[in-house]
Amino acid sequence: MRKKKIITYLAALGFILILNFLLPRLLPGDPFMAIYGEEAALSLSEAAKEELRAKMNLDKSLIAQFKVYLLTLAKGDLGYSYALNQPVRTVISKVLPWTLLLVGSALILSTLIGLILGIESGWRRGTRADRWILLTVVGLSALPNFLIGILLLLFFAVQLGWFPLGGAVTPYSGFTGTAYLLDVFKHLFLPLLALTLAQVPRSYLLTRASVLGNLSYPYVRTAAAKGLKPLQIRYKHVGRNSLLPISASLGVSVGSALAGSLFIEIVFSYPGMGSLIHQAIAQRDYPLLQGILLVIALTVILANLATDILASKIDPRIRKE
Amino acid sequence: MLQINNYHLSYGKKKVLRGIDLVVNKGETLALVGESGAGKTSLGLSIGGLIGRESEPANQAKVQTQGQIIFQGKDILHLSAEELQELRWSKISFVFQNVSNTLNPVLTIWEQVSEPYSSHHLGTRRQAREQARIMLDKVAFPSAKINHYPHQLSGGELQRALIAMALINKPEVLILDEPTASLDPITRQELVQLLSRITKDCAVLLITHDLSVASALSKRTAVLYKGKILEEGPTDKVLQTPHHPYMRALLRSYPHMHSSKDIQSINLNLKEPAEGCVFFPRCTQALPICQTTAPPVLEFKLTVLSANAKEELDFFGQNGSSKVACHRGGIVPYLVVHRLSKSYGPEFSLREVSFMVFEGETVALVGQSGSGKSTIAKLIMGLEKPDQGNILYEEQKTPFPRSQEFLQKVQLIFQNPYDAVSPRLTIKEIIQEPLLIQKIGTQEEKNAKAIQALADVGLPTEDRFLHSYPSSLSGGELQRVAIARALILEPKLLIADEPTSALDALVQAKIIKLLMGLQEQRGLGMLFITHDIALARKIADRILVIQNGEIVEQGLAWEVTSNPKHPFTKQLLAAASVF
Amino acid sequence: MVDYQAKKEFLASFLASKEIILGGCLAIILAASFLILPWLLKGDPYQTSLNIFTPPNKEYLLGTNDVGQDILAGLLLGGQNSLKVAVGVGILSTCLAVGFGVLAALVGGRLDTFIMRMIDIILVIPNIFIIILVSAYLKPSLGLEIILISLLTWLGGARVIRAQVLSLKERTHVYAAILFGANLAYIFFRHILPELIPLVLSIFLQGARRAIFMEAALGFLGIVDPNVISWGTMINQSLNFFYLDVWRWWLLPTAGALSLSLISLTLIGRGLEETFISNSERRSKIATDQ
Repeated sequence: MRKKKIITYLAALGFILILNFLLPRLLPGDPFMAIYGEEAALSLSEAAKEELRAKMNLDKSLIAQFKVYLLTLAKGDLGYSYALNQPVRTVISKVLPWTLLLVGSALILSTLIGLILGIESGWRRGTRADRWILLTVVGLSALPNFLIGILLLLFFAVQLGWFPLGGAVTPYSGFTGTAYLLDVFKHLFLPLLALTLAQVPRSYLLTRASVLGNLSYPYVRTAAAKGLKPLQIRYKHVGRNSLLPISASLGVSVGSALAGSLFIEIVFSYPGMGSLIHQAIAQRDYPLLQGILLVIALTVILANLATDILASKIDPRIRKE
Repeated sequence: MLQINNYHLSYGKKKVLRGIDLVVNKGETLALVGESGAGKTSLGLSIGGLIGRESEPANQAKVQTQGQIIFQGKDILHLSAEELQELRWSKISFVFQNVSNTLNPVLTIWEQVSEPYSSHHLGTRRQAREQARIMLDKVAFPSAKINHYPHQLSGGELQRALIAMALINKPEVLILDEPTASLDPITRQELVQLLSRITKDCAVLLITHDLSVASALSKRTAVLYKGKILEEGPTDKVLQTPHHPYMRALLRSYPHMHSSKDIQSINLNLKEPAEGCVFFPRCTQALPICQTTAPPVLEFKLTVLSANAKEELDFFGQNGSSKVACHRGGIVPYLVVHRLSKSYGPEFSLREVSFMVFEGETVALVGQSGSGKSTIAKLIMGLEKPDQGNILYEEQKTPFPRSQEFLQKVQLIFQNPYDAVSPRLTIKEIIQEPLLIQKIGTQEEKNAKAIQALADVGLPTEDRFLHSYPSSLSGGELQRVAIARALILEPKLLIADEPTSALDALVQAKIIKLLMGLQEQRGLGMLFITHDIALARKIADRILVIQNGEIVEQGLAWEVTSNPKHPFTKQLLAAASVF
Repeated sequence: MVDYQAKKEFLASFLASKEIILGGCLAIILAASFLILPWLLKGDPYQTSLNIFTPPNKEYLLGTNDVGQDILAGLLLGGQNSLKVAVGVGILSTCLAVGFGVLAALVGGRLDTFIMRMIDIILVIPNIFIIILVSAYLKPSLGLEIILISLLTWLGGARVIRAQVLSLKERTHVYAAILFGANLAYIFFRHILPELIPLVLSIFLQGARRAIFMEAALGFLGIVDPNVISWGTMINQSLNFFYLDVWRWWLLPTAGALSLSLISLTLIGRGLEETFISNSERRSKIATDQ
């Protein structure tokens, strides 16, 4: 079971690598520009271009090219952004923490909110409260994440002015200590709210569906007959079981939250991977774009792997198999 | 200790329980038996206040209850949620049926068994764990598996854990809901022994469809059908001589190692009864009142009119101990033969013969030729007049000569079919003869009835057959014609005098099956006169052994044949065919 | 294949769901206005003018944008494009999902393993990333967009269809039909296909919904054919001027149209699932839905 999963993840990694490799090389147009970006194609001298072509075996067969491509990656070299004049790795490592902060806290928040809402609303299935929560969340789930972001931005930042319009910190403020943390939090608040709102429906709907399934199991009746408090039944007995599908699909949640963060970062000009992708697209900075997507793919795969391990720790039925 | 008074439960329009009255005392086990869907589990859950509270919040309004469930002077139906919570498991606990996920799949056994102890504040978590370990040891749960999860355990182990969990808070009322279902027979046996050992101090309500478990664990048994208790009484009596047709059917359908008669069922008319008796649509002895009024629950009592006054007959030795919900007071004694004597000079006389034939029952009268079997048949039919004693049909004295009504309700089937039908009449005429005599129906109705009677006994119904003569038929066919003739008046009681002794074994088997089928459908009572005790064992509910004009032994067929008391019965059994 | 009574019951339960009615009406109104209003209003969404940032008036009902284009005309054309993508992707991805799902389930064996493993592998990476990567190079036109999105959205549907067919295949009444001598085609059309209809509808709706979302997302990122007017592009452009008041008639109506379209499809989808699809199936669908 575990082995099959790992093979799948490796294959997924291979799939992304091949896509990354083939796309610029097989599309019509100048492969040099498609590999190194517009900036390199415009500003580098012919000699420098020749050197790069030779380095990546661009005049040789695809297989030879692929070898070099993989070897370069294996060294941890993600390429060079000519638009930013920095190695891609450096660029990404500068912005990665912001994205991780945003995605990580949004995931924790949305999972918690979704779980609690899901358990409470599933428990009250069919009542008015349940129907309203369900309707609201379903409505929310229909909205694209960037729209949620834009609406929050327009209302809370532009109209009310409660929060900054963008960025992750106030530039050149010289804040330190608590003031700095507060500043970071103020900048984080709206994007975090947007991403959390965009992610809550997932965990809510999943929890509610699994609570509904679990409530039909006789152990709920057993727990009630034992004279347990409703809170104990809901959270210890039903909640514990409903946690399983959520934790089992955490890998997918990470992917979905990362995707959401791309758009939300752009809306709030939050200096993470999303804004970087936006910039790379605008400047046709293909090495950067490829590097970011590769890092994201790797993150998602690792998250999936971690999820599988976590799920097998939490669910005794998987653990012993 | 636990008293249920006129408890009704309905779920929306569906009536689940319709007026239950039960009492369970301390140290007593009451078995509640019945088929799935009878409402057994709903009743059990009601006692824990578990109906429609936590389980279905949106449908709570649909659950309607009436009546009382009194425990320690308080009505469980009117307790607050907190009071109920307090009551559950500390006073009333359950051993639930072990279906998948009765225990929480992601918590260990130890955790779940100890949980009620700590959550009812009987001790710290540590003490709860200790207590759980003691209880699990007590039920012989393997101690190495105490930290296992439910999916790692066998059915028997899970059931033991459930029992330990039920007992941990020392409850006063214990509800066992199918505690041994889905276990293999050997494990079931072990668990039944365990349960009978450790439930002694509680008031126990045992819910089961398994009559052998009810018999092993309980002193009293109540039979539930469609939310109504139809019979209640001492378990051994209820399981041996049931007084409600439903309980008898349940027993007949249930194969056990003693039964000698074939398994039998009743009408499968499952139409929901609107008013009146819940059993009405399937009942073969129903009266018009049964359709409109629910029957009262009455103490079972057999009374007959003897020569001068009403005499109480304690036929089964259980008058007053059982209760039956039936307008007719339970299964009707169609035929009561009371102290019947008839003398034919010094060489032979019938002395003080008494027995009964109930609705839907086969009683075999077994004895040698010349022992007085056929005399009894003649006396019953009114062909001869007794010197002494009474013959009652449906608890009424039979006039002599017999009334037309009696002759319609009671039919005799003779031994020799060749002799029993006139060779000069066609089959159709033979069969229609009783109708002609009793002046029933137009010619068209008579034809229709004839065809129906022929179909009932499995004979052809086309014109060619109807117009043929007995001479063209075999013995088996002729006996069927004779039976069809007897059935055309829709009798309630058949007196069959050696009806198959002139027939080959294969034909006999066919005719016996036919009669048993008719009994199932119509509730036909049957007095089956035979010299063949092996045959009697297969077809009869009860056997009467007659010797020299005296009934020397009578009892349940399996008892008489497996454990005979009288030397003559032993002799008969020794002479019965064995090969 | 389904007899008349069953069809009637199917329709009745269809119409019994408030969500389906509400979402259906909304979807019909939206689609009708995108198709009919441009004829009535005759605005040219491409025509630039000097009247930039005009607030709504009689000539321009929703005002003009930064280069003086009629915003309402753009909104309606964007709606048409979204509709095209939604229907296109819906049909294409449903066909792929049903085709591969049924094929895998009915043929079984190695082909099944192969198809399912491919789907597993591609689904590991959220497909929005793959679409971004490919689109960044291709700047796809509407048609290409439909193909691209379809190629990546059928996968989850195929998994659901396969699971459903497999479980249907195991039902006793199917075995009974086999034992009466039915062939594969009979079983498929008589016992399997009718049961798949709600699922197929739900996959179609999901495809359409994700197509509208993706189309807007790609427009928002600026990686579509620049000549195609799209809601996403309009939202992205309007966002550059959020410090002006123009967003009130530029951004909000566009965002509203996009939201309403998505909400209508979501409602129908939910109603369908509530009515026809079991809880456990729904759960597995949510779990894999990216």
